[in-house]
Amino acid sequence: MATQKEVKNRIASVKNINKITRAMEMVAAARLRRAEQRISDMRPYAEGMRKLTRRAAAQAGGIPRVPVLEERENIKRVGIVLVTGDRGLAGAFNSNIIREGMRMAAKVREEGAEPTFAVVGRKGVSALTFRKMDVTDSYVGFTDRPAFANAREIGEALTARYVDEDLDRVELIYNRFVSPLTQHVWRQTLLPLQQAEVIGEGADDEAAAEDEETDAEKAQSRSEWIYEPDPEELLARLIPEYVTISVYRALLESAASELGARMTAMRNAAENAETMIGDLTLEMNRVRQAEITQEILEVVGGAEALG
Amino acid sequence: MAAEHMVDVEVLTPEGEVWSGEARQVSTRTEVGEIGILANHAPVLAALRPTELRLHVSDSETKTYAQAHGWLQVYGNRARLLLEEAIPPEDLDSGTLKEQLSDAEQRLSECEEGSAEHNRAQKDRDRAQAFLSIAGG
Repeated sequence: MATQKEVKNRIASVKNINKITRAMEMVAAARLRRAEQRISDMRPYAEGMRKLTRRAAAQAGGIPRVPVLEERENIKRVGIVLVTGDRGLAGAFNSNIIREGMRMAAKVREEGAEPTFAVVGRKGVSALTFRKMDVTDSYVGFTDRPAFANAREIGEALTARYVDEDLDRVELIYNRFVSPLTQHVWRQTLLPLQQAEVIGEGADDEAAAEDEETDAEKAQSRSEWIYEPDPEELLARLIPEYVTISVYRALLESAASELGARMTAMRNAAENAETMIGDLTLEMNRVRQAEITQEILEVVGGAEALG
Repeated sequence: MAAEHMVDVEVLTPEGEVWSGEARQVSTRTEVGEIGILANHAPVLAALRPTELRLHVSDSETKTYAQAHGWLQVYGNRARLLLEEAIPPEDLDSGTLKEQLSDAEQRLSECEEGSAEHNRAQKDRDRAQAFLSIAGG
C-alpha cells in the first residue's frame, strides 16, 4: 500500500495537471473567438468576388472554358491536401484527418492512380513522414493563425501543378467547424473546380446575377460598363482565385476546429483530473487512517507486553 | 449616399475590411493602365495590378496602401476594391520583400516559359517589385 506521502505527492501533481489543462482550455476559448471572427471577416470579400464573377459571366455569356474547370478523363496522379494542426493535445482533431487521408490514398490506388500529399501542419507532416508517404509539399508554422498569404501560396502552387498536368485531380481534407463542440471531417474536390463553387448554389440565372441593379438600369447599363481587360479574360483570371479562396476557408475552418477540439479535450482532461483528485483524497484519508490504526495497535501491543 | 463629388469606397481583403468611407478620388492601376475614379464614374469591372493605391479622402488627406493583385468594381457611385492584400506603406518590410523578389526571380528562371508555374512566379515578382518601390520611397 502507498504511503501517505506518496499519495500526497500524486495529489499535488494531479492538481497541477488540473490547473494547466484549465488554463489551456481558457486560452483555446479566447483564441477560438478570434478564429471565428476571421471566418466572418472573410465573407464580404468572398461575396464581393461572387458578384464580380456573376457580372462578368453575364456579360461574357457564360463561364468560359478555363483549365481549372476542366475535368480529366485519364487520372494518373491525385494530390491529397491534408489540413492538420501544428500542435497536438486537441483530441482526435489531427488523427481523424490523417485517417481520412490514408483511406483516400488507398482509394486512389485502387482506381489505378498515384496519390501524392501536400500537408499543412506539423502533426500531419510528421505522421505522414513516419508512414513513409510521398509528401511533395509541407506547410507549417501558421495553423493557429492562417493568413491569406499562406492560402495563396498553397492554392497557387496546386493550381499551377494542375494546369501543368503534374496533378490530374486535387482533393482537400480538413476539419469543418460546426460549433466549438463539433467538427466534421470534410472532403472537397479542389481541382477541377466545381462550377457551383464559383457561381454559388442556385444562382444560375441572371436575376441573381444582377442583384445590385434594377431591371430598368440593367437594360440601359449593359453597354456602359467598362471592362479592363475584356470579360472573358477577366473570368479566366477570376476563376482560379476560387481555389485560393477555398483553401483559405479550409485553413480558417480548420484553425477554429483545432481550437474547439483543444478546448473540449482540455475541459475533459481538467474534469478527469478533478475526479482523480477526489479519489486520491479518499485514498489518502484511508492510508492515514490505516497508519493511525497501526500506530494504536503498536502502542496497545507494546503496553500489553510491558504489563 | 455620398455627398456631391464624393464616391463611396470600400477596400476589402480576405482578412477583413481595410478601409471604407467617402473619397474624392481613388487612384489605382488596372491591367490596362492607371485609373482614377471620381464621383459618378461609369461602371467598371477591372483586374488590378500591384501598385500604390491612393484614396484622396479630402484636399489635405490621402490614404495610401500597397495593393497586391485584385479586382475593382465601380457601380452607382460605389467603388469596391477586392484586394489580395492592402498594406499600409509603413508596415512593409524591405528585407522580406527583397527575399521574396529574388525567390520569385529564381523560380522564374528555372521554369518553362508559358507554364502555369512560370505565370505564378511572374505574379509573385510583380508584387514584390511594386511593394519594394513603395517601401523604398
